[in-house]
Amino acid sequence: MRTPPTTPPAAPVAPRAWSGRPAPGPAASATAVFVRLKLALLRGGLRQSSGRRAAFAVAAVVSLLLAASQLLVLIALRGHEHAAAVAVVLAVVLAAGWAVVPLLVPGGDETLDPTRLVMLPLRPRSLVVPLLAASLVGVGPVFALALAAGCAIAVAHGAAGAVTAVLAVPLTVLVCVALARAVAAANIRLLTSRRGRDLALLSGLFIAIGFQFVNIGVEKLTAPGGLALLEPAAGVLRWVPPASAVAAVRASGEGAYGEAAVLLGLTAAAPVLLLWWWEHSLTRLMTSPDGSTLRAVSAPSRRERAGSGPAALLPAGRSSTVMVRSLRYVLRDPRTKAAWATSLGIGLLLPVVSSVQGNRTLWTACWAAGLLGMQMFNQFGQDSSAFWMVVQTVSSPRDAYRELRGRLLAPAAVGLPYVTLVTVGSAAFLHRWPDLPEVLGVALALFGALLGTGAVASALFPYSIPQDSGYKNVAPGQAGLAWMSILGGVFAGALLCAPVVGPVVWLHVTGGHAWLWLALPVGVAYGTALALLGLRLAAPRTAARLPEILTAVSKG
Amino acid sequence: MVRSGTEHTPDRQGTAGSPAPPDAGAPGTPPPGPPAVRIQGLWKRFGQQDAVAGVDLELPAGRFLGLVGPNGAGKTTILSMVTGLLRPDAGRVEVAGHDVWHDPVAVKSRIGVLPEGLRLFERLSGRELLAYVGRLRGLPGREVDDRAGQLLGVLDLADAGSKLVIDYSTGMRKKIGLAAALLHNPEVLFLDEPFEGVDPVSAQTIRRVLERYTASGATVVFSSHVMELVESLCDWVAVMAAGRIRAQGPLAAVRGDASSLQEAFLELVGADRTSGEHELDWLGGGTR
Repeated sequence: MRTPPTTPPAAPVAPRAWSGRPAPGPAASATAVFVRLKLALLRGGLRQSSGRRAAFAVAAVVSLLLAASQLLVLIALRGHEHAAAVAVVLAVVLAAGWAVVPLLVPGGDETLDPTRLVMLPLRPRSLVVPLLAASLVGVGPVFALALAAGCAIAVAHGAAGAVTAVLAVPLTVLVCVALARAVAAANIRLLTSRRGRDLALLSGLFIAIGFQFVNIGVEKLTAPGGLALLEPAAGVLRWVPPASAVAAVRASGEGAYGEAAVLLGLTAAAPVLLLWWWEHSLTRLMTSPDGSTLRAVSAPSRRERAGSGPAALLPAGRSSTVMVRSLRYVLRDPRTKAAWATSLGIGLLLPVVSSVQGNRTLWTACWAAGLLGMQMFNQFGQDSSAFWMVVQTVSSPRDAYRELRGRLLAPAAVGLPYVTLVTVGSAAFLHRWPDLPEVLGVALALFGALLGTGAVASALFPYSIPQDSGYKNVAPGQAGLAWMSILGGVFAGALLCAPVVGPVVWLHVTGGHAWLWLALPVGVAYGTALALLGLRLAAPRTAARLPEILTAVSKG
Repeated sequence: MVRSGTEHTPDRQGTAGSPAPPDAGAPGTPPPGPPAVRIQGLWKRFGQQDAVAGVDLELPAGRFLGLVGPNGAGKTTILSMVTGLLRPDAGRVEVAGHDVWHDPVAVKSRIGVLPEGLRLFERLSGRELLAYVGRLRGLPGREVDDRAGQLLGVLDLADAGSKLVIDYSTGMRKKIGLAAALLHNPEVLFLDEPFEGVDPVSAQTIRRVLERYTASGATVVFSSHVMELVESLCDWVAVMAAGRIRAQGPLAAVRGDASSLQEAFLELVGADRTSGEHELDWLGGGTR
């Protein structure tokens, strides 16, 4: 048997273009071919559906509008005392975005995955320039160019500044693109492995939580004199490429030519280093065994025996078995983990953000109950086709009741202490102890109502969650069903809380504040009753519809 | 030549519709009592296509039974309906004398299933999966853990018992699926393409376990399109094509005068073995 060569053979002379025509010449051909490949991939992606075309067009227009408005804002900032700090920080944020986005959206650019090219007779070194050129095609680079130009214009003064800007802007874009390529190539093994896909599925969580921080940041920066907050950070970041290019433009405008040269030199060195790193990663990727071999080595070594740990303390029976399985999925299944962590995180963040914004109400603590209660919806869809294992063991409405009770106990076991903690914590933070009983009572009633309606919706409106994509939560054709299930369920859940909310409002209006504490015991009892009623209603329907539920959750 | 469910060659006539009596010398003579599976007038339609078009089938108990047919013949659909995973449009299915759709308590405790193309709870380790399934089946926890340990050992999965199922290879998944199906010691085991994508070592392990299981008097019904495998494992086969049963009975009777089950199968499903022979005459023989 022949041993495979450690490096691929020499590059082909004239790879055929995608149109079927031979490429024009050997030297320029690879770059042209990869640029055409990128365009063909873009076109191919758009051809798949009109919805995708519309989404692309909207995204492109929004990106370009955003780029244009940023450009205008940055031009308007010219002469502002903190313009340089803003430009430097923006350049770093831009580069960070380029580094992180391909990790969060690994399927976003197929040419980023060099392992697809392994079977082609191409040397890694000869791939660097063509792949880099392909990276420059798209809306992203145009956006980066507009932002880099805006940053340079904001700080450029005089002829020297303008000349430096002409060098700085393309260098900034180059650093961004090379960074994206290098980071993606270094992590492609992770991104294409099961663990990497798991991480990518958590990206929604990072975005959701990150958005809250952006929210707070924007609030602070847009306050009078807020931009001054950027100065200390900008003082350090101006030495980090590609922000150093922006700093160089400013320095040359101020006559500090030595400093400008050093800063520009730093920026120019960055792509060289990044390209070296990238080529190194490419060579390693294209000449070493693939991720499936490596994954086995890094597999976790779980030594726990089934039934040991806290699970052993639970009473024997179907409900506790199901509850433990559900909680294990919260920890191990990236989709479930993301949904739960988003609920827990946002449930905690919303009261905090709200209080930072000056709202001194305790009612935002109800979000924790609402978001966690929604985890009960589409229970069987979360199993996907593995639901057949449940079908095989459910023979009666009694079995279905125990199954659903176990699934309900998982969010309840986490949700009850969590909602209580968030509400009590908010009351302590806001010094609104008198509101605590009524808010906690309504929150727990809402939680119970959502658990109950979630159980019924799981039985009546199951839908599949595609397992191969982190961005689709509904299989094609079932979106209506999903919306009906969630919106209808949440609406019904909220409506079901009326017997607790109504009297609370009435006591407030009529001045019966002394009786508001009653909302707590009433809310707890009512929420428990609704959850149990939901189980009673859902169990016979689940038992009667097992094959139909399995069919519905196995799509996609 | 394509024959419908009612048209059979004389030598297999007796085997269609009403099964032939088991041959006296066959291994594992079935115990007296109801057949393992009795199917009457089973229909399932998807859109415009009849996936299963009026199947009558009686599978004797205590045998290694093969359900064979080309891709798309309806094997998976039939097995899904027999095991309660898919509701039929019409017809009746009994397993060990109990109606699948009217007496699910009696049926589900008596059958083990290994479906094809459906997931497992893959974020559990192999050992946790067995512990979960066993407890769902109502077995005592200690008993489940003991049985799981033994099954993992016999199926060469002891070292992978604490690894997540999602990191298992195809063969390992089939083996852990088989372990989950056997855990409650069912009377009848339904396996859909149990050897599909499985390497020879895992296949041999699965085979050894199944042979041991049937030797104890239990019934295995498995679907496959690999005739050599069916011929070497089964003592009774049913041949399906286009949603209908083309022949059923002891292996020797279905094979008839043909040299192998493969030959008999191709004839029964009406495969044209000559098409395309002259269309690829440029292929092979060096560069031209």
